[in-house]
Amino acid sequence: MTTITPTTAGSDQLDRPSTRLSFAGVLRSEWIKLRTLRSTVWSYLFVILLTLGMALVMSLTIANGMGGGVDVQGVSGPAATELFVQSSVFGVFLAQLVVAVLGVLVVTGEYSTGMIRSTLAAVPTRLPALAAKAAVLFVATFIVGLISTVGAFFVSTAVYSGYGLSASIADSAVFLPLLGAALYLSLLAVFSLGVGAMVRSSAGGIGIVLALILVVPVVLQMIPADWAQSVVPYLLSDAGTSMFAPAGMTGGDSMTTWQSLLIVLGWVAASSTGAAMLLAKRDA
Amino acid sequence: MCGVRGIRSVDDMITAEGLTKRFGEKTAVDRLDFTVHPGRVTGFLGPNGAGKSTTMRMVVGLDRPSAGSVTVNGRRYAEHRAPLHEVGALLDAKAVHTGRTAENHLLAMAATHGIGRQRVREVIELTGLESVARKRVGGFSLGMGQRLGIAAALLGDPATLILDEPVNGLDPEGVLWVRRLVRNLAAEGRTIFLSSHLMSEMALTADHLIVLGKGRIITDAPVADVIAGGTRSRVNVRSPHASRLADLLAGPDVTVMRADSGVLEVTGLEASAIGDLAARHSVAIHELTPKNASLEEAYMALTADAVEYRTEALR
Repeated sequence: MTTITPTTAGSDQLDRPSTRLSFAGVLRSEWIKLRTLRSTVWSYLFVILLTLGMALVMSLTIANGMGGGVDVQGVSGPAATELFVQSSVFGVFLAQLVVAVLGVLVVTGEYSTGMIRSTLAAVPTRLPALAAKAAVLFVATFIVGLISTVGAFFVSTAVYSGYGLSASIADSAVFLPLLGAALYLSLLAVFSLGVGAMVRSSAGGIGIVLALILVVPVVLQMIPADWAQSVVPYLLSDAGTSMFAPAGMTGGDSMTTWQSLLIVLGWVAASSTGAAMLLAKRDA
Repeated sequence: MCGVRGIRSVDDMITAEGLTKRFGEKTAVDRLDFTVHPGRVTGFLGPNGAGKSTTMRMVVGLDRPSAGSVTVNGRRYAEHRAPLHEVGALLDAKAVHTGRTAENHLLAMAATHGIGRQRVREVIELTGLESVARKRVGGFSLGMGQRLGIAAALLGDPATLILDEPVNGLDPEGVLWVRRLVRNLAAEGRTIFLSSHLMSEMALTADHLIVLGKGRIITDAPVADVIAGGTRSRVNVRSPHASRLADLLAGPDVTVMRADSGVLEVTGLEASAIGDLAARHSVAIHELTPKNASLEEAYMALTADAVEYRTEALR
């Protein structure tokens, strides 16, 4: 039909655009994607408000002696510190549900909308896209987690100081649990991301992670067999909460903090490996 | 035009060799061999389900070929250092997260390759999305979604563009815009691979056609040849002496088919020539109706039974 005449002449024949695909670029891309969705912003705000709110409720409850009738007047030293930690991390037990759902949605949202095809067309080697997603989600969740637990500590301090109790955030018995809680939330988010990437469905992914956190521990505890009881500490949520919660809050698991961290890392590694293998193999 | 970068080298092409995709028992794409050349618009035509989209998805590595290979500019798409600068693809107008704004979507895509904000602004202007760039994609019409998809495809100012059904859902003005855009991009020396299930659209936009049916290539030829081959006019002749007339009409370039009793379908002769011939031999004619096959008919005939046509085309 039409004769084709090139409209520009050819001295600049090799003038290809000079930018190229890089992991730093993919990280920046995933960061833009994470912060430009309302669901992310709302989820993180919810995590912060939940943790601060629960800290307020918990510290008021304890301070007024309603939580089992402890008389806080005169409590000091490690016992006082534990009260601070207990109220600061209480909200994390609820916030973990929000974070797990967010982790799933970060990737299943791309599958449900078709966005994943744009993502993988831009990053056809695929695995860097998943790695960047995980890295960005980890860092963002860790920071939000830390803001939440440190904020919750100061809320608790505001309440307890009226009852003559004090604790310092510089005390490792305080800041280690606060860090541990933030770390658990961020690792849980990455674990959930892996689950989402494997099942590629929001409903399926959310169902699996919530069942793992809420249902499986309860079911195992109801089984009247020794093996069932001995499995419980190895569950993601049990090991995870042992990373930061005082023994009194988790039912006195025998694991040390470091053992718990290793178990959680194992869960994250399993889910990430599965996600990576399937992503590399499957059609998008 | 969108940041013209001059003529591309001649190896800016898409090459498929024995490209095959099976989904379970079903073979969606069956041993395709084709080359899409730069500087022209190559139309990829076929009915829905013929395997067009699957083929295009394999070009950019979204689907893995079951056998064979497809390369862009001599390499598999994933092996390029800057894939978005090699190939821009509109594969699915809604390959965008509905919760994000158009601008943020483009910024995120651009970031992977370090493409700057300036280029994002350029493609937004080029595709006429200025007024909705800050709106979330969930509220976009199909047409705006297509424009956004095209904007994303153009981000890397690629040498090769793959557009799967780009005029789907566009209003007449939008259709015209896409047509001009791809013609201009081809004129700049780019490789354009454009799919459609509408022959009429292809006739207006493409220079070359690859027609696909049931996962196989039916025709790979310049668009003019395909049209010429598919639109030979046909004349319906009704006569009480149909058999005798059929004998008289027989000739090297003439096909005569008996429809029902007394009706002949003649291809290769004008109605006037048939009338004259009948008069010379005193054969009565009761009806003489020229039937011009439309492009769509030609295309339907072409794809109606892909396998049968394939054997004929191979002769």
